[in-house]
Parts: sequence; structure tokens; C-alpha cells
Amino acid sequence: MSLNAKQEKEISFLDSFAGLILSPFQNLFTQTVQGISDGINHYFDLVDVSKENERLHLEVERLVNEKNDLIERISRQKRLAGLMAYQDDRKKKSLVASVIGRDATQWSKVVFIDKGTRDGVETHFAVVTNSGVIGQIIHAGPTTSKVLLTIDSRSAVDSIFQESRVSGVVVGTGEEHCIVKFVPNTADIKVGDRVLSSGLGGVFPKGLIVGTVSQVVKKKQGLFQEILLTPSSDLSRLEEVLVFLS
Amino acid sequence: MYYVAQILIVVILFSIQTTWLKTFSIGGVVPDLALIWVVYCGVHCSRAMGIGSGIVTGMLQDSLSGGLLGVNTLSKSFIGFFFSALKDKFFVEGVIPIAFFLILSSLFDGLVFYFSMNTVLEGEVAPSFFYQSLPAYSIYNGVIGPVIFLVLNKINSWLKSKTGNPHMTRAN
Repeated sequence: MSLNAKQEKEISFLDSFAGLILSPFQNLFTQTVQGISDGINHYFDLVDVSKENERLHLEVERLVNEKNDLIERISRQKRLAGLMAYQDDRKKKSLVASVIGRDATQWSKVVFIDKGTRDGVETHFAVVTNSGVIGQIIHAGPTTSKVLLTIDSRSAVDSIFQESRVSGVVVGTGEEHCIVKFVPNTADIKVGDRVLSSGLGGVFPKGLIVGTVSQVVKKKQGLFQEILLTPSSDLSRLEEVLVFLS
Repeated sequence: MYYVAQILIVVILFSIQTTWLKTFSIGGVVPDLALIWVVYCGVHCSRAMGIGSGIVTGMLQDSLSGGLLGVNTLSKSFIGFFFSALKDKFFVEGVIPIAFFLILSSLFDGLVFYFSMNTVLEGEVAPSFFYQSLPAYSIYNGVIGPVIFLVLNKINSWLKSKTGNPHMTRAN
């Protein structure tokens, strides 16, 4: 009993001593080997991760493009649905056209559409959106046509005010707004009043919205008021339009 | 080859002008690439080429603007003629002279439009034309013009080295 106890005590001491001496080296070797092993493994993992990353980047790019494409399609569908509903409401033969180009100078306000005489489009046909009048065809080629916008300096639309039923002529100024000419000083016109096409002139059917009054100036001298009109549609962002085929 | 390249440049400029140039619109104002091209030809090309480019570019612009009764043909021809005839009398090199002459040309172009609209065409021009649209248009052309001049210089230098065309009067 006493021998065993002595031997155990000696072994335990040796163990502890050897362990004390060796353990830092053991730790060092273990960590080094583990580190190298991890490094090699991670390197190969990283090669895989890098490849995976590249592949995922391409996938993300493809999905972003696809998403944009879908958003664009949905937005086009919404715009077309608006135009079609408007077309049904008007019960007038019409044609949806896309805007493919704009004026070549700062001073004219013209857009090009992708429909021409082959589709039944002719000069002086009215062009609208579901918001209202945007202009008229001034030249129809076989496959494309030119639309003179209501804001062009050469444009004039015979109109009436929705509330007061006073008539006037909406004239383009070459800027982003129009003016309404020949409205007598005595007429009661307020900011926010809607202006509609009168149907006179033979281009625009009666009752289409031309724009909304944004400013009224009544001069003490003179016969007519100075009325500024904001067009019903944003003419700088046209994408699809409706051409009335008669 | 040289003339085909010049026609191609005009086609590209007009395609840009009528499609995505609106993206760079500031307050509804966009630069006039045709005007910059005409001034460039007037300064850098022979007299015939300078005047010819003015007439052709102006006519093209008129036909793409809904028939402004030759307003652009008139102004661009005059600008092309002016620079072709007088380019030896003044120095149109460097950013500031190019910008200065482009601003002058733009003002002239706008005034031709204004007077045509008020006389022959009897159209309506906004009162803000003189203090808003015209200055903004002129400055925009003056700012963007030197950059386009630089690009056109590079293209024409390359063309000249390939074709040795005598219509280019100035080495760039």
C-alpha cells in the first residue's frame, strides 16, 4: 500500500513536470499544424467561395435586370390599361402609339410616334393621353408621324372653361406652359379651373381636358385677361399616346 | 470615306439630340448639338464644307422640328458662313474662346427664332424667353461645346490621318 502510494506520487509528479515542459510545445505544434491545415482548407474554401461569389454576382445582376424588366413591363401595362380605359370611355376609333423621339431643337415642341399612314394615321388627327390633349399630327409618314405638342409656339386649340363656359384659345409658348388668349376681362376665371377643348376647329373632339389654370392676371386696361395654363399631361415624360383616327 | 464619316457623325448627333439628350435637360433646356457641329465645321473645315454643313444641318433640323419654315436653315447657314469666312480673323482655340463663340452663336440662333416667330410665323413666345430660356440655352451650349469640340477633334484627327482629307484646314 505504501509503495503503491509512493510510486503514484512519483509518477504524478513526473507527469506534471513533463506536462508542464511539453505542453507549450505541444500547444505550439498543435496550433501550427492546425493553423496550416486550416489555412490550406480555407484557401481551397476561398477558391470555391470566390467562384461562388462570382457566380452569385452574375446571378444577382441577371435578377436585377429581370426585375427592372418586369417593373418596366408592369408600368407599361398600367399606362396602356389607362389608355385603353380612356379609349373605351370615348368610344372613338383610336390607336395606341409609342413615343420614339423628340424635337431636334430647343425651340420646337414636337414628338415622333411609331405609327404612320400604314396604320391609318393622317395629318391633323388629335393625339391624347388619358390625362387629356397633348397635340395633333402635323406630318404623317408611312411608319412614323410628327406630333405638334400644345406647348409649341405654333399650336392653338379652341377651348372653353369647364365652370364658366367662357371660350378662349389655348396657345403654346415654347415653354412648359400655355396661355389662354381672348378671354374677356369680365369673365370669372379662377386658378384651378379646367379648360376643355371646344370641338371647334375640327381637330380635337369636344370635352377633352387641355389643362388647368395656374395663374390669372386681370389688367385694369385692356380687353382680355392674361391666363397661364398648365397642360393636363406632363409633356416632357410622354411614353405612350392615343391617336384618334378620325 | 471622309464624307461618309461626316454624314455618320451628323446622324449620330441627331439621334442623340432627338432621343436621350432630354435626360440632361436642365429646366427644360437642352444643348443644341447641331449648332455646335456647325460652329465646329465653320472653324475647322474648308469654307465650302463649313457653309455646306450649316445648310444641310439646318435643313435637317427644320425637317425634324415640324417645318419651322427654314428658321434653322437660315440661322445655321449664317453661322456656318460666318465662321468659315472669318475664322482667320479671330482665334477659336481653347476652352474660353470656343465657349464664347458658342454662346454668341446660340444667342443669334435664338434671336432668329424669336423674330421669325413674331413676324412670319405669328406664333406666341413666352416673355421668359429673353431672361430664362435663351440665356440658359446659350450657357449650356457654351459649357458643353468645348467637350464636344474635343471629341470631334479626336475623331477628325484620326480621320485625317487615315484619309488625308484636304477639307480639314486645321491640324488638331
